[in-house]
Amino acid sequence: MAQVNPPHPNEHSPETHLAPIIEVVDLCKSYGSIQAVNGVSFSIATGEVFGILGPNGAGKTTTVEILEAMREPDSGIARISGIDIRENPRAVKSIIGIQLQATAFFDRLTLAEIIQVFASIYHKRVDPLALLRQVELEDRAKSMFNALSGGQKQRFSVATTLVNDPLVLFLDEPTTGLDPQARRHMWDLVKEFKSQGKTVLLTTHYMEEAEELCDRVAIMDQGEIVALDSPDKLIDELLSSGFHKERAEKAANLEDVFLELTGHDLRDA
Amino acid sequence: MNWQTNTTWVLTLASLKMWYRDKQAIFWTFFLPLVLMVIFGVLNFGDFGSVQLGVVDQARTPASRSMISSLENAEAVSLFHQSASGDARVAILEEEELALEDGDRDLVVVIPPDFGQPGGPVTVEVLFDVSQNREVQIGQTVVRQILDEMTFALNEVPFRFGITTRPVFNRDLRFIDFLMPGLVAMSIMQMGLFSVAFTFVQLKNRGILRRLLATPVHPASFLFGQVVTRLSVSVLQTLVLIAVAVFLFDVEIVGNIASILLLALIGGGVFVSMGFAISGWAKNEEVAAPIANVVALPMMFLSMGFAISGWAKNEEVAAPIANVVGVFFPRSAMPDILESITDFLPLTYLIDALRNVSTDGEALWSQGWSLLGLGVWLLITFVVAVRLFKWE
Repeated sequence: MAQVNPPHPNEHSPETHLAPIIEVVDLCKSYGSIQAVNGVSFSIATGEVFGILGPNGAGKTTTVEILEAMREPDSGIARISGIDIRENPRAVKSIIGIQLQATAFFDRLTLAEIIQVFASIYHKRVDPLALLRQVELEDRAKSMFNALSGGQKQRFSVATTLVNDPLVLFLDEPTTGLDPQARRHMWDLVKEFKSQGKTVLLTTHYMEEAEELCDRVAIMDQGEIVALDSPDKLIDELLSSGFHKERAEKAANLEDVFLELTGHDLRDA
Repeated sequence: MNWQTNTTWVLTLASLKMWYRDKQAIFWTFFLPLVLMVIFGVLNFGDFGSVQLGVVDQARTPASRSMISSLENAEAVSLFHQSASGDARVAILEEEELALEDGDRDLVVVIPPDFGQPGGPVTVEVLFDVSQNREVQIGQTVVRQILDEMTFALNEVPFRFGITTRPVFNRDLRFIDFLMPGLVAMSIMQMGLFSVAFTFVQLKNRGILRRLLATPVHPASFLFGQVVTRLSVSVLQTLVLIAVAVFLFDVEIVGNIASILLLALIGGGVFVSMGFAISGWAKNEEVAAPIANVVALPMMFLSMGFAISGWAKNEEVAAPIANVVGVFFPRSAMPDILESITDFLPLTYLIDALRNVSTDGEALWSQGWSLLGLGVWLLITFVVAVRLFKWE
């Protein structure tokens, strides 16, 4: 389905009605003899929540890192908001927000101070408290990063990506290691970003997360995109091919039981 | 200029804050050098460094006796005399010459028969051991001073004596006076190497540098703040150590304080670059620590060791000092090649320049050789640091 010519903002794949904010054409990247990304093309519309799924080593991290301007592709074109990432990585970085997997922040600076540091990088003036309030960490403004729980760290990490009011948010496995309450809270955040008109590109190993959040998902394997559509359509496609589950799905699952018993409130105070 | 949105300024301020809040780092930055200074200040190894001076009185006049008693009273001098001639204060020339050859004297003053008699000029001969440069300089200065004083007191024709001296060590040099610049240099080295290497390996390992790489921050802005912090600390260390030396132990700083601080900055730059190079190369703290030690310890042993052995006259004197400091190789036990290597170490350049400027009162611009050495080291370590530096 890859378009051979670099797509023009106006003529695009039928399911995206808005102008694409991310355009990727025939992206390739190899490490030695390993072809990590092999001719990947897709585009993401403004306001879309886009998921990249795939087993470990499928090339999703490399693809995302190229889009984040943290890695150079061997060939291919990648543009965010019309800016060529290879030509102007710094301009791209200033309009996106990147939440890295398992990241850390400076010791001996409070959350509010770290926010100030990040804001200064974008030459922005922000109210750290307001930003922390968005991720429900206002009361921890004077805490150090290391004193936070896992879920709080993840939320703070998201807060640091918001200082420049980014057009695109990259979330790399944002809920890995979180308890169900914290995961639901992160989902709410993603939905809120969507409602604010931000574009979100996320990677995840949790299929129910992709189903819940993503407008479209790309499933990668061995450096290539093997499927790209909305979760619904992908499931329908599978069912129409004659697939059926061994065990019928119940109307609730164990996580619903867990949340019913323990409530939805965040447990990391 | 808007301070709040100026990246470099905010990053520098944050870096200073982080350093200030790291009480453990502050403790180690000041603790060891201060402990060493207090030990040497209290114990005062002053006598060990005194000049072993022999005197041969061929005049035996009131003037010559007055000179001998002046020499006896000079604090930096231990007066030696053999009693073969019957007068306990006076030795005969041949015996003193032998003592000089044996290393029991640093220099011998020969007072001529016509000393103090009207007329003149007379020549006071000073025999000296060429290997004891420092002591000879002190001794000559003392002798010259005493002769000058006597000349004015007796209102006689000036004396002349056979060798020229440089009026540098005209004060009582105690071990702490001598050691202070070494301690300053050593703490700057420790701070630069260890604090930078550890901090950056941590920042790299924990993904903090990677998080910064995900922003449009210019690496220079971030590194600038970090370097400014370390250099400020090296200046602060220098000021604290000097203040303690001056106010607690009466160490006299002859040199220009601005020159001393400038040297602290240059030295700090060399060792901070080295720390960056180590942090770029080392994968984690377990690797960084031994590497930093492998760089620091030999340098400390060699540069400080030779510095101390330059002060201590012989091994009997040096050993007790060495036991306390833990940084000493007797000069005689060292192969020449090591001494040559030591001459080119950055710590040696820094110690030499700091000492010459602070305790000897020489001008900064006269330290061309040391400055050149430090400059070359700064260039080398900077290039290596830039090449090895990695964000992740």
